[in-house]
Amino acid sequence: MAFDLVVNGSVQRIEADPQTPLLWVIRDHVGLTGTKFSCGIGQCGACTVHVGGRAVRSCSIPAATAIGKPVVTIEGVSPDGTHPVQLAWKEFDTPQCGYCQSGMIMSALALLRERPHPTDADIDARVTNACRCGTYYRIRKAIHLAADLMGK
Amino acid sequence: MNTDVTRREFLATVAAAQGAFVLGFWMPEKAHAQTQTLASTPPGAAWYEEPATPEVNAWIVVAPDDTVTIRIAQTELGQGVWTSNAMMVCEELQCDWTKVRPQYASANRDAREKAPAWTLAVPGNGATDARGGGVPTFGTRDRTGVAGIPDSLYRRMRTNAASSVKDGRYYLQLAGAEARERLLLAAAELWNVPVAELTAKNSIITHARSGRTVTYGHVAQRAAQTPHPHPETITIKPPDQWTLMGTEQKNLDVPLKVTGQTVYGIDVRVPGMKWAAVKACPVYGGDVKRFDFEAVRHMPGVRSAVPFPIPDPALTRGRIFSGGVAVIADSWYQAKTAIDRMPIEWTIPPEHAAVNTAMMRDALLTAIDQPGQVRVNQGDVDAGFAHAAKIVEATYSTPYLARARMEPGNATVLVTNDRVDIWIGDQSPQETRFSASKITGIPEQNVYVHLCHLGGGFGRNGNGPQAEHAIMIANAHRGTPIHMLWTREQDFIGTTYRAMGIARLKAGLDAEGWPIALDVRTCMQRDGFGPEASFDVTSRYHVPSYRYSSHTTRFHVPVGTRRGVGQAAHEFYRESFMDELARAAGKDPYLYRRELLARTNLPYKADMIKALDMAAEMSGWGTPLPRGTARAIALEERGAETDGLATISAMVHTVSVNRAGKVRLERVDVAHDTGFGLVNPLSVKKQIEGQIVWFYNDAMHQATTIADGHVVENNFDKFPLSRMGENPPEINIRFFPTGHWLMGMGHDRATSVQAAIGDAIYQITGKRFRDLPYGKHDLTWS
Repeated sequence: MAFDLVVNGSVQRIEADPQTPLLWVIRDHVGLTGTKFSCGIGQCGACTVHVGGRAVRSCSIPAATAIGKPVVTIEGVSPDGTHPVQLAWKEFDTPQCGYCQSGMIMSALALLRERPHPTDADIDARVTNACRCGTYYRIRKAIHLAADLMGK
Repeated sequence: MNTDVTRREFLATVAAAQGAFVLGFWMPEKAHAQTQTLASTPPGAAWYEEPATPEVNAWIVVAPDDTVTIRIAQTELGQGVWTSNAMMVCEELQCDWTKVRPQYASANRDAREKAPAWTLAVPGNGATDARGGGVPTFGTRDRTGVAGIPDSLYRRMRTNAASSVKDGRYYLQLAGAEARERLLLAAAELWNVPVAELTAKNSIITHARSGRTVTYGHVAQRAAQTPHPHPETITIKPPDQWTLMGTEQKNLDVPLKVTGQTVYGIDVRVPGMKWAAVKACPVYGGDVKRFDFEAVRHMPGVRSAVPFPIPDPALTRGRIFSGGVAVIADSWYQAKTAIDRMPIEWTIPPEHAAVNTAMMRDALLTAIDQPGQVRVNQGDVDAGFAHAAKIVEATYSTPYLARARMEPGNATVLVTNDRVDIWIGDQSPQETRFSASKITGIPEQNVYVHLCHLGGGFGRNGNGPQAEHAIMIANAHRGTPIHMLWTREQDFIGTTYRAMGIARLKAGLDAEGWPIALDVRTCMQRDGFGPEASFDVTSRYHVPSYRYSSHTTRFHVPVGTRRGVGQAAHEFYRESFMDELARAAGKDPYLYRRELLARTNLPYKADMIKALDMAAEMSGWGTPLPRGTARAIALEERGAETDGLATISAMVHTVSVNRAGKVRLERVDVAHDTGFGLVNPLSVKKQIEGQIVWFYNDAMHQATTIADGHVVENNFDKFPLSRMGENPPEINIRFFPTGHWLMGMGHDRATSVQAAIGDAIYQITGKRFRDLPYGKHDLTWS
C-alpha cells in the first residue's frame, strides 16, 4: 500500500498501511523525529502537528485522514529556529527536558494563527498539552511574547 | 536461528527457554559492523565522539577554531546540568562561553581509564567553607556503579539526589583549572617565556610584556603534550571570585529543543535496525507462561518473538520486576500491533495477585502501631502528654506515585560477539554498562553506552529495567540493532514507585498552645527511599519532648527514587501538622512556626526564619483576601538538622476554592537560600517553577492504586497531569544568601504546595483532609 502525504511542503511517497497513525508515518516513514510519542491515546499532546492548518494529536488519527491536506511538523516551523514562537521560547529558556515542547509549540502556533493576541483564558482553553517538567509558567510568557513578535 | 520449529514445539519450549530462544524467521540481513553503525551521528545527538584533535584533559577538547568541547558525566533530563556542569569547567578554563559545546563523557572510557591522581584529593568539611569543595560523595567501591566508582575516570556518572552541582563542582572546576594551566604552559613553551608572565581570558592567552597573544585553539595540541601542571597552580575559585558561575545563563540544550532536532533515545536510528514492542507481566514477580507467535507471525513486518525473564535483581538493585515477551518487526507500530494481538498467558504468584490498595493501607496501619524503630527519644513524651492542656492527633497518608516522565522507556542495542553498543537516555550509565556485561558475558571495557538527553527522569532512568529488557532482547538477536520501545502502559509497569506512606502525629500543647510533647510515627514500605527524612535527628520545630519512630512492612511493588523521595511525603505530614497545631492554639501559622524555630538551637535556624519572613512579606501575609481565597505558608528544608550542607526555603501559596470545589493555585511567593552561591540561578528558578507543578499534581491529582496485584493507573487518562489552566499565573522567587553549600535543587523544592493547599482548603471550606490527593475529596462549600 502506498499513498502520498504533503509534509512541510514536500510530497512524500509513503509505503505503509494508511490506517497507521499519522505519528508513526511522520516518525518512521517520513523520518522526522521532532514529533514525539508519549501516551498513544491522544491525551498529552506531545505528538501535536498541523493538518490542514489545525493542531491535531497525530498518535490518534490514521495517516489516511491527512491525505490531500498539508501536514506541518516542528521541523516545518522554521529551518533554523527563528520563527517568532521559537525565538520567544528561547527568550524565556522555556524547555526543561524538552520532550513535550515540539507539541507545545505546534499548539501555540495554531492558537496564534487563529487568535493573534490570545488572552490567558484563550491559552488555557487551547494549549492543553501536558508538560511533566512543569514549564507552563514560561510557556504562557513565551506565547504572549510570540504574539507581540508576530504582530510587528 | 529457529526457522523450522513447529507450533507445538513453540508452546512446549517457551517456559524452558526463557530469554535465549527466538521464535520466527530471523535472519539478519547482514551483520552491521559497529563502525558503520556509528558513522552517522545526527546533529542533535549529544553522545560522546572521539575527538578530532587531542584532548587537553579528559573533560576538555579545544579545536583549532577555538570551539571547546566540554564532556559532561551527568545526564540532562531537564534540570540544566548540561549547562551548569559546563559553566563550572568554563569558569576555571577561562574560555569563551559562546564557543562551548557540551558532549556526554564516555562511559566506555570510564571503564577503561582510571581517574587522574590530581582529581582524587577532594577537600572534605567544606560545608561551612566558601573555599572548600563541599562534600562530594563518590560512593563506596561498588563496581556496579550504583553510587559511582571511586577510581574510574569520571567516578560518578550517575545523575541522582539533586547532586550534580554539589558533587561535581569541585571536580569540574579542578578539571577546568588543570586544562587552563596546560594551555598556559603550552604558550610559555611556544614563546619561551615564564608561564607566570601569562594570563588567560576568553580563550586568549596574553603575554603582557611582549604584547603577544595566542588563542587556545592554536596551542591546544601542544597543551595535550605538556606535563601535568604544578599542583599549586590548580586551585579553584571561591564564590566571591566567580565571574560566569552565579550568572543567569540560558541552557545550551534549549535551541535544539525548540526545533525538534534533539536526539532522545526514542529518536535513535541506526542502519539495519529493527523494532521491538514489549509486554511484561502486569503483576510484578510474574512471568510469561506461554505465548502464541503463530497467531501473529504473518502480520506485516513481523520478524520474530522472544521471551525474556524477570531481570536479574542483581542488576536492578534488588527490585523484582516482571518477565515478558517482545515482538520484533520492521517498524515499531507493526511490532506493537502484532503484540497487542498475540495471545499471552502469564504465571503470576498468587500472593501478589491477591494484593490491592485497601489491604496495603491496612497493613501500613497495622505496622505503624507496632513498636517500630525508635529513632529519636528526647525528654519524656508520655509525661508531656499527661501534663498537656490539649492533645492534637492526626493521621496522614500519601499514595504510591509514578514518575510518569514523558518519554516512554526505550533503548537501542546492538550485541555482537565481542562488543555491545547501547543508545539510551540513562541516569546511570555505569550501571547499564554493568548490566550489559552481565547479560551478554562481554567485558565492560567492550560496552559502549551512547548517551542521549532524556525526556524527563525524575529519578526514573537509573532504576531499571528498560536497559535490561533491551539488552536481553538484542542479545537474542546478535548482529542486528534492536530498538526497544515501551508503550505508555508498559512504562507504568517497568518502573519503580514512590512508596505509599502513612504518618501518625500526636502533640500535647500547653495552656498557651505551644507543643510540650510530640510523638511522630511514619510507616513506609521497606526499601522505600528517605524513610526517615525530615523527622530524623530533631523535630525541626522546637518541642521539649520528642519521639520519632519509623515503621515498615513488605509489599511486592518495587519502590525507588521518585523526585523528592520520602521527604516530599514527610514534609507534607510535618507542615500539615504544624498548621493543625497553630489552628488548635488559635495562633497565626506563620508566626507559630517562626516562634518554634526561634526556640531551637538548630545551626541554620536564622536561615529558616529568614525564609519564612521573606516569603510572608512577599505574599502580603495578613492582608485581606476575597472569600474563597486563602494563604498558607510552609517551610522546606533539607539538611537543617545538622551544620553540613542544607537547602532552605519557604513558600506562601495563595489558593482559591470555588463553591463547586474547584481549586486554583493563584500565586506562589518563594524565598530561597543560595548558600554560598548558585551556579546558574536561571536553572534554579526553572526547577522551582517546575516543582511547584510537580507537587501540585501530587497534592491534587495523582495516585497510583493496586488492584489484583497490578498498577491500575497506566496512562495519562487515569494518572492525570495538570495543564496550563491549572498553573499559578504568578510565581515570585527571591533568593537570599546563606553561609553553607546547598544540598541540591532538583527534587525537594515546593513540597510545601501539599500542606499549603490542605490548609487553604480548611480555611475556605472548614474541612481538613489528610489523605492525598485532595482531588478525590468533596471540596464544595456554601
